[in-house]
Amino acid sequence: MFFHNFIYSLKVLLGNKTLIFWSFAFPIVLGFLFNLAFKDIEKNESFNTFDIAIIESPQFSDDVFYKEAYKSLSNGDDRIFNITMTNKDDAEKMLADKEITGYLEFLDSVSITVNQSGIYETILRFVVDEIESNKKMISTLVKDKLQTAKPNEVANIIEGIKDKVINGNATVIDKTRDNMSYTMIEYYTLIAMSALYGGVISMYIINLKLANMGSVGKRTAVAAIKKGTLIISSLLASYLVQLVEIALIFIFTVFVLHVDYGNEIGFVILTSLVGSLAGLALGVLVATLFKTNENAKIGILIAITMLGCFLSGMMGITMKYIVDTYAPFVNMINPASLITDAFYALYYYGVNNRFIQDILSLIIISALMIILSWRGLRRQKYDAV
Amino acid sequence: MLFKTFWKVVSKYKGTIILYTVMLICFGGINMAANNNTMGFSDVKPPIAIVNEDDSVIANNLVNYLKDKSTIKDIDNNYLDDALFYRDISYIIYIPSEYGKSVFTENPKTIEVKSSGDYKSTLASNILLAYLKVQDVYKDDYRGDELIDKINSNLDKSANIKIKSKLDTTSVSNASNYYSFASYSIIAVILFIICLVMCSFNEKNVRRRTIISSINLSSYNMSLLGASLLYGFVVFVLFNILALVLVGDIMFSLRGLVYVINSFVFTIVTICLSLLLSTLVKNKNAISGIVNVVALGSAFLCGAFVPASMLPNSVLKFAHILPAYYYINTNDLLKSIEEINYVNLEPIFKNMFILVLFILLFIILNNIISRLLRKRNS
Repeated sequence: MFFHNFIYSLKVLLGNKTLIFWSFAFPIVLGFLFNLAFKDIEKNESFNTFDIAIIESPQFSDDVFYKEAYKSLSNGDDRIFNITMTNKDDAEKMLADKEITGYLEFLDSVSITVNQSGIYETILRFVVDEIESNKKMISTLVKDKLQTAKPNEVANIIEGIKDKVINGNATVIDKTRDNMSYTMIEYYTLIAMSALYGGVISMYIINLKLANMGSVGKRTAVAAIKKGTLIISSLLASYLVQLVEIALIFIFTVFVLHVDYGNEIGFVILTSLVGSLAGLALGVLVATLFKTNENAKIGILIAITMLGCFLSGMMGITMKYIVDTYAPFVNMINPASLITDAFYALYYYGVNNRFIQDILSLIIISALMIILSWRGLRRQKYDAV
Repeated sequence: MLFKTFWKVVSKYKGTIILYTVMLICFGGINMAANNNTMGFSDVKPPIAIVNEDDSVIANNLVNYLKDKSTIKDIDNNYLDDALFYRDISYIIYIPSEYGKSVFTENPKTIEVKSSGDYKSTLASNILLAYLKVQDVYKDDYRGDELIDKINSNLDKSANIKIKSKLDTTSVSNASNYYSFASYSIIAVILFIICLVMCSFNEKNVRRRTIISSINLSSYNMSLLGASLLYGFVVFVLFNILALVLVGDIMFSLRGLVYVINSFVFTIVTICLSLLLSTLVKNKNAISGIVNVVALGSAFLCGAFVPASMLPNSVLKFAHILPAYYYINTNDLLKSIEEINYVNLEPIFKNMFILVLFILLFIILNNIISRLLRKRNS
């Protein structure tokens, strides 16, 4: 009976187009949208060379230090800005048309004109300050050193100071981790959503076993079959369908969207298995706990999943960090966030305590939901004639 | 009676309305908390964290300088990597123990850093390296307090900067971000509810019963249309009241009025789209899927979740076929318009005109399709 019901449950599930849409096609469509929206975001957020103008004036063209300094910053592949030498009217027009970030005017001191406050405007000011700082360093050192220098050493001392200031570069060691692509979180929330939407499948199969949900349920209720066997075999069938769908979504995200899950493939699969289990448990819980029609139950499940995904960063990646920081308890009981966090932990840190904690929490939450549903299912009583 | 029934069905789905409203409140609240109002030029201070294991004068002076030039966040060392990944901070600076002493030796200890790789981290890196360069140049010639004085006096001046814009960019961007995100909430709440309610009225048996009843068909249609418009209006009012709370004073300006008008036109577009979809789709189960694809698709492709300036050009070109693009584009334009006058508002009028064309298109399509369906059914 177990195997018979398992096969028929599979047939019923695979024949339901709405289920297939929610649990498979929708995440694929959404993943495709993510890919379109997030393709360039990290590239646009990294530093890009910007355009500035310098107003031609004798104060600039007669100063060798300025000319050299600005020339070196606007040459080569790692240049900071592109410079247009122009007159004030044109510079004003270029600024108004947003062709340049700002323009520099060399009078008694350097004056910067920009449209608004912003990161590139601040970088421009900082670079100008740095050039002024270098100029000041040279004059300070020259002044101090020449007090004790012999006349024949002056030229050498000045050259030495200039060389030290212009060519000297401070160094730091960069220890940044390799996997810094934060848009990956979006795709992890997508997998979390798919896993939890899988709950629609288990909910559908449980509804078929409930006498108050339709004639199939009534027939099942009066059949001389052990209900535990029926429910477990049906849930196993729904779990299998869920896993196949998650596997297909994974293949899509890895080979089409080029999502990086890190190097721990085994643990990525474990996370998917446990995440799908949480989805299954959520579906069974909603089916059992809410005494309403199937559409309303789907609505409740989708609402819970969407809220969970919103809190785990689907509609804005920083949301997960904010909830983790200010209301960690919320995400500790949010299966969508736990699944996302487990993938994040694997991608960023590898297998560590955080990952284990996420997986254990998911198992405990799933177990609690299944126990609650089981108790609910055992107490089902219907009006007698 | 019909009107009353409409609202009865709407009240059945109040959970969905609350859900999308809560999302909008969360987004608006966080958006507001993340910014401070500023007028005139203010340097962007990159958010960084410092792990200082040295208590020397040299290390402390560096920390003081960084405090002045950047925003130092107090984050537990165990969560620094998380903060960097989620861009809460852009740069982490690790000052090793005995750093101050080692600066004057032949093998000085090196400062370690971690960077998020965005433009704020570039600025943070420039700030740090500029300081270290001054320190490196001066350390051979000066010691102790004199060295600190020389470093500080070398770095204490900033170039004079003039700002052309008189706009309070932070408040305006808060308002624009709120209204752009609201496009998702408006589409989801209006589309989902109107489609579901219409689906209940269009159910075969209910529809047949309505047709044979004494009710006049045109007054039946007018009641449903009126109820849908009223529902849309309630959503519009609700989201604009939230804007007053979350966005603040700017809503009482002429610019604020343009935001309100824009959201009103967009609400009408969404209502018309809902009526068209409810004519096309009769299956309640399919509605959830279609609504989610339309709402999330518009939001992701038009710039509700990710600013349009960050989206690839190909995506933005495609987004031109979606009404949400013109609505969000108006919000973005309002962010940069210096003065509200006819000339500056011209592109906004153009966007609104296109939205009106969408309204007409949806109404015409709805009429054609329902006529075709009626003919086919009869």
